[in-house]
Amino acid sequence: MGQKTPQIYSVELNGAKDMKQTDKGDDKDKYRGLWSTCLELRKNHHKEHVTKEIDLGLSSTQAAELLARDGPNALSPPQETPEIIKFLKQMVGGFSILLWVGAILCWIAYGIQFSNDKSSSLDNVYLGTVLALVVILTGIFAYYQEAKSTNIMASFSKMIPQQALVIRDSEKKIIPAEQLVVGDIVEIKGGDQIPADIRLLFAQGCKVDNSSLTGESEPQPRSCEFTHDNPLETKNIGFYSTTCLEGTATGMVINTGDRTIIGHIASLASGVGNEKTPIATEIEHFVHIVAGVAISIGVLFFIIAVSMKYRVLDSIIFLIGIIVANVPEGLLATVTVTLSLTAKRMAKKNCLVKNLEAVETLGSTSIICSDKTGTLTQNRMTVAHLWFDNQIFMADTSEDHFKQTFDQSSGTWASLSKIITLCNRAEFRPGQERVPIMKRVVVGDASETALLKFSEVVLGDVMEIRKRNHKVAEIPFNSTNKFQLSIHKTDDPTDKRFLMVMKGAPEKILEKCSTIMVNGQEQPLDQSTAEAFYTAYMELGGLGERVLGFCHLYLSADEFPETYSFDVDAMNFPMSNLCFVGLLSMIDPPRSTVPDAITKCRSAGIKVIMVTGDHPITAKAIAKSVGIISANSETVEDIAKRLNIAVEQVNKQDAKAVVVTGMELKDMSEDQLDEVLTSYPEIVFARTSPQQKLIIVEGCQRQDAVVAVTGDGVNDSPALKKADIGIAMGIAGSDAAKNAADMVLLDDNFASIVTGVEEGRLIFDNLKKTIAYTLTKNIAELCPFLIYIIVGVPLPLGTITILFIDLGTDIVPSIALAYEKAESDIMNRKPRHKKKDRLVNKPLAVYSYLHIGLMQSLGAFLVYFTVYAQEGFRPSTLINLRVEWEKDFVNNLEDSYGQEWTRYQRKYLEWTGYTAFFIGIMIQQIADLIIRKTRKNSIFQQGLFRNKVIWVGIASQIIIALILSYGLGSITALNFTMLRPQYWFVAVPHAFLIWVYDEVRKLFIRLYPGSWWDKNMYY
Amino acid sequence: MFTLTMWVMLQTVSDHTPKYQDRLATPGLMIRPKTENLDVVVNVSDAESWGQHVQKLNKFLEPYNDSVQAQKNDVCRPGRYYEQPDNGVLNYPKRACQFNRTQLGDCSGLGDPTHYGYSTGQPCVFIKMNRVINFYAGANQSMNVTCVGKREEDAENLGSFVMFPAHGNIDLMYFPYYGKKFHVNYTQPLVAVKFLNVTPNVEVNVECRINAVNIATDDERDKFAGRVAFKLRINKT
Repeated sequence: MGQKTPQIYSVELNGAKDMKQTDKGDDKDKYRGLWSTCLELRKNHHKEHVTKEIDLGLSSTQAAELLARDGPNALSPPQETPEIIKFLKQMVGGFSILLWVGAILCWIAYGIQFSNDKSSSLDNVYLGTVLALVVILTGIFAYYQEAKSTNIMASFSKMIPQQALVIRDSEKKIIPAEQLVVGDIVEIKGGDQIPADIRLLFAQGCKVDNSSLTGESEPQPRSCEFTHDNPLETKNIGFYSTTCLEGTATGMVINTGDRTIIGHIASLASGVGNEKTPIATEIEHFVHIVAGVAISIGVLFFIIAVSMKYRVLDSIIFLIGIIVANVPEGLLATVTVTLSLTAKRMAKKNCLVKNLEAVETLGSTSIICSDKTGTLTQNRMTVAHLWFDNQIFMADTSEDHFKQTFDQSSGTWASLSKIITLCNRAEFRPGQERVPIMKRVVVGDASETALLKFSEVVLGDVMEIRKRNHKVAEIPFNSTNKFQLSIHKTDDPTDKRFLMVMKGAPEKILEKCSTIMVNGQEQPLDQSTAEAFYTAYMELGGLGERVLGFCHLYLSADEFPETYSFDVDAMNFPMSNLCFVGLLSMIDPPRSTVPDAITKCRSAGIKVIMVTGDHPITAKAIAKSVGIISANSETVEDIAKRLNIAVEQVNKQDAKAVVVTGMELKDMSEDQLDEVLTSYPEIVFARTSPQQKLIIVEGCQRQDAVVAVTGDGVNDSPALKKADIGIAMGIAGSDAAKNAADMVLLDDNFASIVTGVEEGRLIFDNLKKTIAYTLTKNIAELCPFLIYIIVGVPLPLGTITILFIDLGTDIVPSIALAYEKAESDIMNRKPRHKKKDRLVNKPLAVYSYLHIGLMQSLGAFLVYFTVYAQEGFRPSTLINLRVEWEKDFVNNLEDSYGQEWTRYQRKYLEWTGYTAFFIGIMIQQIADLIIRKTRKNSIFQQGLFRNKVIWVGIASQIIIALILSYGLGSITALNFTMLRPQYWFVAVPHAFLIWVYDEVRKLFIRLYPGSWWDKNMYY
Repeated sequence: MFTLTMWVMLQTVSDHTPKYQDRLATPGLMIRPKTENLDVVVNVSDAESWGQHVQKLNKFLEPYNDSVQAQKNDVCRPGRYYEQPDNGVLNYPKRACQFNRTQLGDCSGLGDPTHYGYSTGQPCVFIKMNRVINFYAGANQSMNVTCVGKREEDAENLGSFVMFPAHGNIDLMYFPYYGKKFHVNYTQPLVAVKFLNVTPNVEVNVECRINAVNIATDDERDKFAGRVAFKLRINKT
């Protein structure tokens, strides 16, 4: 990032330089503000055409030439890894390498066997092929999953093909915006998206919304005057992808595609390195552990086997067996499925996850840097307070307020409501009678809209009231006189007086008044009432609200008869001695779900930092009302005010909250920012620029925090990319932001983030369970090999059978654990520490491998020994039987009873043993699955039947096992046989033992939190 | 827990008969001398090459000595099973029938200067049927062992042979087998095949099978069910 930042600025600087050159070389106004590309253009042979009259435009041939030279006017998509590389990556990632090694060893082993003995069995070839298939299939699966989640996003970037009205060959044409070239003359009007960077040649009342680029939410007027050296500041440039709000303009395209300002920002964002997600790190860690165990045990036993005088070939085959037993083949696929299940669940809760791994990142988030507007607030002005009769009344600001509950009986209110209704130019778009009032579309600015909706809710049909009080004259609001005025006939037919209503900046309104209405009665405006007014005004202003004053005057019927013609320019009506009626304040209120969500975040140990471009007072007010600054915490300034001392004298330790403005931030060093970030639990950044957002994010990341950032503008995209998880707004967000983000909030609602955090934490816990479940049986798969090598019993579990456990019976159950509900309130925990709270920690590995794993092995061995004993080979006979057992020409091997067995009869028995061992593991994996539902709570607290999917998992285990044993028992290559039904129950006592053992473990953890037991047995 | 369940499991296993014998429905055949890969190679001129076979056979046939048999085992009525049912009381140990070494005739190796024919290139190969507890081989009908060359050229190279007892018969009286523990001195019946004029210096694939009503010999997968295939090679200079 650090390297890239200057680039964008340098572009601007260069641009400015170029402009100067341009000015010197050519003093025609037209060329002011053009940048390097245009300069270039001017220098080359297209000059004449550019200088020609606007209405001529480029000729199609020239346009085609330029198009061929510059390429289409579209942002080049971020460089994508070719699909084949992505696919190959899946083929070699994770455990795949180990399995490939296994497969190749298999084939080599067969090669050696074959060269010695042409009739050697094909078992190794099967195994090698199966292993390769496993790798390829899981690879394809992972690739498919990834592609699917990428596709979700692809739909986002697919914009509606934009059209541009361009003048070519002296004709107005509508062409796709992609085909615009430098030098084209385009026309835009209100509502259009600007199709490229253009310099305005002609503008009429043109205003643009540059918020996606600069973060300024106020509409920016555009004209053809060159006002500033900086292209971002000058008024005669319209930027690609911004919107023209009103007016019309004609401009010349000066930059297209990636060379536009937005293109630079987009490339800047793609330059910010994507850091590895926490879960990816965790999974890598886990793969390392498992691969380490697999390789070290494999090599160890390879050496043991060789030194025990086994043939090297056999030892290689053991090695393969050990690798296969150790590698949880199905696990990575399971993790992917689990993540995508959660992603789906989150999508239902309005969090669309773009990158599957981000699902978990959100769960480990420890700092959220949130926007204010739209995310924390409703993004619409709403009436919050009223002041009349010397009293402040609160208005309901929730999203769907039907009723206003303040006292409406006063006569003052009657007057005030009349002013609010009449002195307002905003109107509902027609045809929305069925839409709830708060959701109706209004023509008019934000404040007027708020007032219109407010009066509609309180009074009913506003339009009807306005009709009855016919408007005869009006002065709309403007920034010089700061008031709005209208004169109406009243709806009282007996009253022939005109009513003049006025609203505006409170102090301006008050100036014009000589009386004030209290309880419906006009009273002279004296010193004390004026003071009351100022107190109220300051109080409401202090809340960060926009305050308006209202006054009226009934014009006497004598002076202003019904036929009187009002002239708004001459102002032939009184403008003083009016009657002040009241104040009304508005704010963009917080979403009602946000305070709750912030509280949740706080109890979840997540710090919420507000980063806004808004005014500090407003920012602080909103922060207070949503709880980012909690009710009882104060800033340094608050303390100073309370104690009536200078800010410098305040002990900074006492202040819990701080409001940092962009100006202050600018002067801060990294260390100072770090200090602010660490020493204050409640922070608001106000008046910050988008670039500063990036600085804040980097500051947070220096604290080892996992940072989530919300944003919507194009300028937010570097910060979104930099953040551990970037969250773009689905409604207000720009495409660039959505592209840079890992997640999209479909409803722009902060509360949805909290839901996401919850899901993310849950998935982390559940992944732990899944992994613990999967690792357990690895020991039960590994032990047979070790016992086989050391004790010399016939092989208890075949390699292919292992694959059937890993990729057959165990798949659905381990996915089912993803549906497990949280054990306790996961939102009452601190976020996990990136480096300390690992997905796979020592207790998990030890408990899974050595406790449950060994118990499970014993249980499975029991089934194995039972089968052999009941067929004639008692355990004592089996010891060291291996060599004779496996000799192909020994066809009269004696069992414990003196019976003699042929090789094939033994082989079949061996397969029965595999099947028995397999069933043994399967039965105990059911117990394992049930105990893994919880890590701390008793199963009975969690509820055995709450997670129905677990039972689907168990059913799938049993059904797959039944099919394998009874359905495919006759296929030689699979090494399954039909097992006697009673053997299915041999391991059941062991399954119960596992359950009881784990219940005891959990009981002790609950009884003695913090003890040795808790530390070593809680994973 | 494991010990406990193992113990419980072992209680279910009887001492004298295995619980299940489903895998042993068809007893396998096997040859003596037992060699690697069932290759019987005889270098006539090299006494050491066949000497080891002879030693093995000597040892193998020792319990069949008439004196031993007479001392330990009963003379049974041929042609019928020698059943010794428990009838509620454990009938233990069970008696076995005599199979005298002399029954093997020229292959008995008794007073045989040719060492079972190995020194002359007319080797004896002994065929025995795997023991299976409570198996009534032949289902009350007589059974015998026959040998053939596996392919046509093998048959030509194999030449003629004689069998002892005559026709390769196995008598019913040696069945059923009651298990190592009960049937302490059980003597497995044998069939000896003496190959008289095997074409020297070629490998001959020989297949012997038992012809009995209740022994299938056509199992595709188990090449030793009711039959045995071995290679015979007589090297003469």
